[in-house]
Amino acid sequence: MDLIKIENFSFSYPEAKKSALSDININFEEGSFNIICGTSGCGKSTLLRQLKTVLTPNGNKKGEIYFKGKPLSQIDERNQSSKIGYVMQNPDNQIVTDKVWHELAFGLESLGFSTSSIRLRVAEMASYFGIQQWFYRNVTELSGGQKQLLNLASIMAMHPDVLILDEPTSQLDPIAASDFLETIKKINRDLGTTVIMTEHRLEDIFPYATKIIVIDNGKKLIEGNPREAGEELRRLKHKMFLALPAPMQIASYVESDEKSPLTVRDGRNYISDIVTRKNYSVKEDMIREYLDKKGDSGLKIFDENSETSKEKPVLEMKEVWFRYGREYPDVVKGLNLSINRGEIYCLLGGNGTGKSTTLSLLSRINVPYRGKIFINGKDIRKYRDKELFTSFLGVVPQNPQSLFVKKTVELELFEMLGGPKERLNDDYNLSLDKKEIIENIAKVTRIEGLLSQHPYDLSGGEQQRLALAKILLLRPKILLMDEPTKGLDSFFKDEFAGILQTLKKHGVTIFMISHDIEFCARYADRCGMFFDGNLVTQNNPTDFFSGNSFYTTTANRMARSFFPKAVTVKDVIKCLKKEM
Amino acid sequence: MEDNFSSYHPVISFFFFLFVICVSMFLMHPVFLAISFFSAFSYNLILYGIKKTLKNNLLFILPMMIIIALANPMFNHYGVTVITYLPTGNPVTLETIIYGIAMATMFCEVLLWFACYNEVMTSDKFIYLFGKIMPSISLMISMTLRFVPMLRNHMRVIANGQKCIGRDTSNGKTTDKIKNGVKKVSILTTWALENAIDRADSMRSRGYGLKGRTAFSIYRFDKRDRAILIVMILLAITFFVGNSTGNCYVSYDPIVKVKGIPLDLYSCITFLSYLTFCMLPVIVDLYDKYKWKALRNNINKKENRGYRLWT
Repeated sequence: MDLIKIENFSFSYPEAKKSALSDININFEEGSFNIICGTSGCGKSTLLRQLKTVLTPNGNKKGEIYFKGKPLSQIDERNQSSKIGYVMQNPDNQIVTDKVWHELAFGLESLGFSTSSIRLRVAEMASYFGIQQWFYRNVTELSGGQKQLLNLASIMAMHPDVLILDEPTSQLDPIAASDFLETIKKINRDLGTTVIMTEHRLEDIFPYATKIIVIDNGKKLIEGNPREAGEELRRLKHKMFLALPAPMQIASYVESDEKSPLTVRDGRNYISDIVTRKNYSVKEDMIREYLDKKGDSGLKIFDENSETSKEKPVLEMKEVWFRYGREYPDVVKGLNLSINRGEIYCLLGGNGTGKSTTLSLLSRINVPYRGKIFINGKDIRKYRDKELFTSFLGVVPQNPQSLFVKKTVELELFEMLGGPKERLNDDYNLSLDKKEIIENIAKVTRIEGLLSQHPYDLSGGEQQRLALAKILLLRPKILLMDEPTKGLDSFFKDEFAGILQTLKKHGVTIFMISHDIEFCARYADRCGMFFDGNLVTQNNPTDFFSGNSFYTTTANRMARSFFPKAVTVKDVIKCLKKEM
Repeated sequence: MEDNFSSYHPVISFFFFLFVICVSMFLMHPVFLAISFFSAFSYNLILYGIKKTLKNNLLFILPMMIIIALANPMFNHYGVTVITYLPTGNPVTLETIIYGIAMATMFCEVLLWFACYNEVMTSDKFIYLFGKIMPSISLMISMTLRFVPMLRNHMRVIANGQKCIGRDTSNGKTTDKIKNGVKKVSILTTWALENAIDRADSMRSRGYGLKGRTAFSIYRFDKRDRAILIVMILLAITFFVGNSTGNCYVSYDPIVKVKGIPLDLYSCITFLSYLTFCMLPVIVDLYDKYKWKALRNNINKKENRGYRLWT
């Protein structure tokens, strides 16, 4: 039976010329697991918000949405509150109260349950989600993953029939994200709760879904099971193809009579099958289409950069020790690290190993108690603030919103150059026009169409790029980034990588901390593995990842028995072609 | 350190502190003062441990006591027993000295009780008590307690972000410092307001604003809560009745007059009831510790007698 049925639904925001959603027809069956995907800004969040009346934005609606056969508008708020559960993106913002137990009870309090029945439900939820250990804690003490789990649990306590999730893992690190997705699967499997979610981390969840819906430009493009959706995306050569799990991507380039795999396990069998029987061919057009992306336009603002010597490492840490207080344990332990000019260096490693602390040392937010840090061969402590941060280091904060001060994106960019007036000052002493520079930087960071918007109205990926653009206006020689790909969908990641390549061409050194193995494997020049306050190993991505057996890319895990050196999807395809 | 008395229902803890603090503030009888001081100090020992209690008290309360005790005879000159004269010609009397000491003791025991109150009556207990009366206020307190640490955290993130684009508030020209400071606050405000939209959505989607909201709490009023409440009420009544008969009267002006000493039956009952009341947390806790020990001994004995013959 259909739990939710969307019929000929269109929606447009007030005073918008283009409709945000047009003519959408979708059925969500009871107990099904639905994933809605699409690039940022395609209208998938708008669609989800239509499924719960209190969250629906203002605008013109056409068509009807039915919940259990009844129009949604005729279902009262009380029923909607309990029957339709909605989890949003940001884990922090959804939490209302100060204690974990109170948060769990919040929805039930609103619905007017008695203390004894709330006690029962809260106890049930705490046990099911494994919250007992932190039941009495303050919510501020929780990690991001725990917070999002709490949000989920507090909604599940109301026993909803359908669970709607709007990119729930975009703010979480990959380990917490995959834990969270496992929990969603478990809920769907154990309780039969219908799940409707938008998600950009398709790797884990894609094979499990019963239905995939691809939205493009406010229209439904594809609807079907994962395999069908994958084939359709390939046929249409759609951008979202890059978001598919690696086994599916690899299989798409291959012409063979084998059924295309969804998981790593299937993928291994698939490869061994086709390689041993040698009855396949590789489609070349696809490779050229997606995998060879080049950064195009140059960055004018960097043309006036004075050259620095090439031999010396641009960033160097020598025997650096750090701890947060005298009585605390060491976080960074005798770290030696040197980064060459013009390379993209990725530091990988688990949570709490001291990666972010290392970054804070490099950006002089914290100071080591032993050891030295050199930037361009000069001790970091000898730089003046202005000198250090306006011509050497550019630090892109993990949360881009901590940089936004103005009403529009354009003013935001001008603000870095000391206002929109064309006159030289301390902040700005180049011969180029400010206007020209800003147009150029907007083009390179691909925010040129957004200049008149408010920074907070941008999507996560766009905000990230605006923050990057602001930092680039300071003309840094070294760019430090903490988890730059967090919350970006794969299409944006690709664009982001293009920006990094452009910067690299201009001699900018890029140092980033990341959990994103796939991204690092594709775009880094060197990768380092961080563990227990120190660097365990570092190498170029191919040797780095082929040397690991767990901490490696999906493509490598899938193909390693045949092609141990193949790390990315592209590598695997190349190997397959050679083998043919 | 979690003690046993803290685990009772918030109503019990609240009633206890309300009674003890109010009574301590108004009674100046030396026996009462001694009882109250002794109980407050022992409860502090249980809650904070010896080291911390001594540190807190020697650093702050002891000097305070001395100052008050000395200040009183300096400024008050009533009483009949003149000891000496100040250079100004005013008399220093025995009565004012004694009263000063009594007042200092009272002041300090109230502080000690408040130290216990802080440890026992945590924010959620307080919210619970007032949530019964005003549910919206209790939610508001709870949201505020959530909001303040979050803002502080955001401010740190913003400060670091700004520092890394060379806009620090810790050095540079004063005008720049002010400009950057204002900028930071502006970022924080925008951030907080934007995030408040999410929070409002989250509240509404979980049915906030529907009629008939209830207030949930994790506290249960058990049999032991009822038992201790009855004991407390009986002790309180005994104390008030005993006190109202006037055999615990004390006066420091013009001469020191203390009733009830030497002990007679009535004053004895009154003192005892007050002592028991004030010592309740300590008694409860010590009894609990004793019981644990007894249980453990019992287990050891059984083990030795039973199957662990090889030990």
